[in-house]
Amino acid sequence: MATIIWRSLTLAYRQGVFIPLSSSLIAGSLILTPILIVLFQSLTTTRLATFVGFTTENYLRVFTDPEILPMLSNSLVYATGSATLGTVIGGLLAWIVARTNTPGKALVELMPLYPLLMPPIMKNIAWILLLAPKSGILNNMLREGLGIEEQVFNAFSLPAMIWVFGLACVPLGYLFLLPVFLSFDPSLEESAYIAGSRPMNTMVRITFPLALPAFLSTFILNFLRALRSFETPVLQGSPAGINVFVAKVYDSMAIEYNSGLATAYSTLLIALSIAVLWFYVRTTRFSERYATITGKGYRVRVIDIGRWRYVTFFAVFGYFLLGIAAPFAVLIVVSLIPYYDYETFIGFFARMDLSNYHRVLNHPSFVTGLYNSLTLSLATAVVTVMAGIVMAFTIHRTRVYGSKLFEFIGTMPLAFPPLVLAVGLVLVFIRTPLYNSLWALGAGLFVAYFPYALRNASGAIVNIHKELDEAAWVHGARWRHVFFKVTLPLLKPSVAGALFYIFIEAIRNIDVAVLLSAPGSEYGPVTLFDYFRVGQWGEAAAGGVIYLLILIVAVSAAKFVFDVKFSL
Amino acid sequence: MSILKVEGLSKAYRDVKALDDVTFEFSQGILSFLGPSGCGKTTLLRCIAGLEVPDAGSVYIDDRLQTSISEAIFVPPYDREIGFVFQNYALWPHMTVYNNVAFGLKLRKVSDSVVRRTVEATLDLVGLQQLEERYPSQLSGGQQQRVALARSLTLEPRLILLDEPLSNLDAKLREEMRIELKRLIKKVGISALYVTHDQEEAFVISDTVIVMEKGRVLQYGTPDEIYNRPVNQFVASFIGHSALVDGKLVKVEGKNGLVLVPEFNHVTLACQVPEGATPGDACNLVIRTGEIKLSSRCFDHQDNVLEGFMISREYRGGLTDHRIRVGSREIIVTSHKLCPMINIDEDGGKIFLHIDKSAISLILPDRPRNREQARAGAQP
Repeated sequence: MATIIWRSLTLAYRQGVFIPLSSSLIAGSLILTPILIVLFQSLTTTRLATFVGFTTENYLRVFTDPEILPMLSNSLVYATGSATLGTVIGGLLAWIVARTNTPGKALVELMPLYPLLMPPIMKNIAWILLLAPKSGILNNMLREGLGIEEQVFNAFSLPAMIWVFGLACVPLGYLFLLPVFLSFDPSLEESAYIAGSRPMNTMVRITFPLALPAFLSTFILNFLRALRSFETPVLQGSPAGINVFVAKVYDSMAIEYNSGLATAYSTLLIALSIAVLWFYVRTTRFSERYATITGKGYRVRVIDIGRWRYVTFFAVFGYFLLGIAAPFAVLIVVSLIPYYDYETFIGFFARMDLSNYHRVLNHPSFVTGLYNSLTLSLATAVVTVMAGIVMAFTIHRTRVYGSKLFEFIGTMPLAFPPLVLAVGLVLVFIRTPLYNSLWALGAGLFVAYFPYALRNASGAIVNIHKELDEAAWVHGARWRHVFFKVTLPLLKPSVAGALFYIFIEAIRNIDVAVLLSAPGSEYGPVTLFDYFRVGQWGEAAAGGVIYLLILIVAVSAAKFVFDVKFSL
Repeated sequence: MSILKVEGLSKAYRDVKALDDVTFEFSQGILSFLGPSGCGKTTLLRCIAGLEVPDAGSVYIDDRLQTSISEAIFVPPYDREIGFVFQNYALWPHMTVYNNVAFGLKLRKVSDSVVRRTVEATLDLVGLQQLEERYPSQLSGGQQQRVALARSLTLEPRLILLDEPLSNLDAKLREEMRIELKRLIKKVGISALYVTHDQEEAFVISDTVIVMEKGRVLQYGTPDEIYNRPVNQFVASFIGHSALVDGKLVKVEGKNGLVLVPEFNHVTLACQVPEGATPGDACNLVIRTGEIKLSSRCFDHQDNVLEGFMISREYRGGLTDHRIRVGSREIIVTSHKLCPMINIDEDGGKIFLHIDKSAISLILPDRPRNREQARAGAQP
């Protein structure tokens, strides 16, 4: 065995893969450590962060918790509801854009994507302002306008949670289903026309049934996102006692300070995520058998839907309105009034001032948080993307024994909700000087976004013919030459896409940062979260608007200055 | 002194043996690895280049040990001083022709003026001096192929390896390029290993040929030896147009023998026999159908005349394929358009096939080319 290992290492060195291999090992350990520590901690008892012994007590407590069944049911209803809403609306928008003659194509194509720009926490804040039972804008409007005293809307209820997160799931549904409708083999529909079926009938009986596997896999992915989501359950569920797993993990860790319990809940959540992920892998394999995309060149058949095309235009516009325009408008108004109540909100022209902006920009936590999130997101994007490329290079371009294992390790965090990864990292760093530092926060963001960087780099490297590297090898290049002179320049377009994607995701992140940021290592979205929790709605809104403006500038720069193609 | 020595090279991908104890030596010129897809010829080339690590065996280039699994020696590809032309050329799309060709020289920190001189001379050699600022995507297939060759020649390698370099070109260009390639390699004066599955290409381009099947070397020899004296049924069937029939040796006199062929109405055919053949041995006859003469009459004084019936004829321009039934077998004989036989009645017309002894090779079964024989064939 020792000889085999020694020979592998010698060969690795000779083949010039020692550096990529060791870098991948470091990245791999950073990912594995918090994951293993969560599983380990859930089976141990500790006192003052010191190991005392093994126990099943944490699990006993979890399973005997009278709330466990309602929590499971809440989690499933919430995830199913929002995934269904997101997938159905996303699919419908995709069909409208791809297959109908809806006017304003260039605008219609982009409208379903704009809501991606808005950090999730801002959507929650805006919808809470709109739907809150007593102070909510809509309930007050109904009372004032129509005299309805009953509180019709309740932001702190399961339907409202489903509504808010479901709307957030739409862009993913749209992005996943658009290519399905765009690349649909028209001969399948043409056969139906020949058999006497009319366009709408063909859509219902041929197109949608054939797209069903794609719908299913998108649904499962959205389901998984809902299961892992943090903001909606914590901001809208917890206040009304509607607990889901993520909220419970957060409460156990951040409020009860019981890491044993938090890790036990985390393990259950991980098991649930893995089950869903397994199901997702199965469905995508099944979808391949349902493939309706052939290599033959063809044009997408656009259906003339007559006057209905105005209806479809307003359907897309309606989503744009609900997904970003309305919440953003609410936040702008709230950020411009000195304090929030319905009367001030309605008469905002008379009360408008910039006091909220003044306060947040003079609040050290917000300024540090904003600065930290900008710099750390940038650093995370660069480090994660580079590490992803090195690991993808190790997996696909070296033949060192066991290098394929990295693929598994590198994608592992996908099965772990970011909050759970944060729990693991808190436990890793708690006894080190790095605890509560930006390094710990950076590590958390790295682990959470690494799978995206790896997936992106793997896809791109696989597309670069291996012979291009080998040609460099035989013409005298060592690994660093191959990497920097051949691989990296060829990866440039996808590197740029991944950099911006991870930067934008990281700067909006809250579910990792909420446990890893602390005074001194504040993080922007967490500051907004804290404003909201202590009732400083005006500051939360002003901070949110500043954030959204930064994101709009970043994305516009990516698109128009750097010509980045967002492929993730 | 041999430029290349391969000893006991084996490589398996899971359960599939890509190379099975391959041993041979090669001194100079152009050596082709010829065989069907999946026979291991590319794996062999890649093991020699150091792009694959074999499971066992050793490789010497220019008498210097490059790979030895038993001694845990592996010289990485960048230190082997070889050139490699890939099947898809593998030109770096983000570099110009000049930068592609100059890549290896720049890595060696050669001065700019020397790099320029060398690259220009090499591009001149392959006839691309005007295109050095173009990117690979702006070149035709043939031009890309020349750039790939130029790139591998700039470093003045000890050995140049070519992995099916012409397979992506159309038929006409392929024929032109193989002559061009041979001319260039000979002009530069280095030795080359050439992988191909095209027998004609291998014969045109190389001085010696190795025929491979299932990871093993079946025969190593000059094109003429391989064509005229295939060592087994596989080589015979892979090389050129041949008819393979089972027979039984009925008489042996020195180097000559008579073989009874049941499938051809039990006629006996005269042919040369290898050493060690004895009457009663079962054998295979390889009849090169391109060398069969056709006539409408039988000349009694001649040996090896078969009587057959024309089934159909396929016109191929300058050549015509005749499908002829002889006994229980159907064989295809190709004739030139000037051959008068092309007018024989297509539907069952009687025809005589005259087979010269030299058009027949006799193979005794179970005589694969072993390691010692392959080594003995080092200087074919």
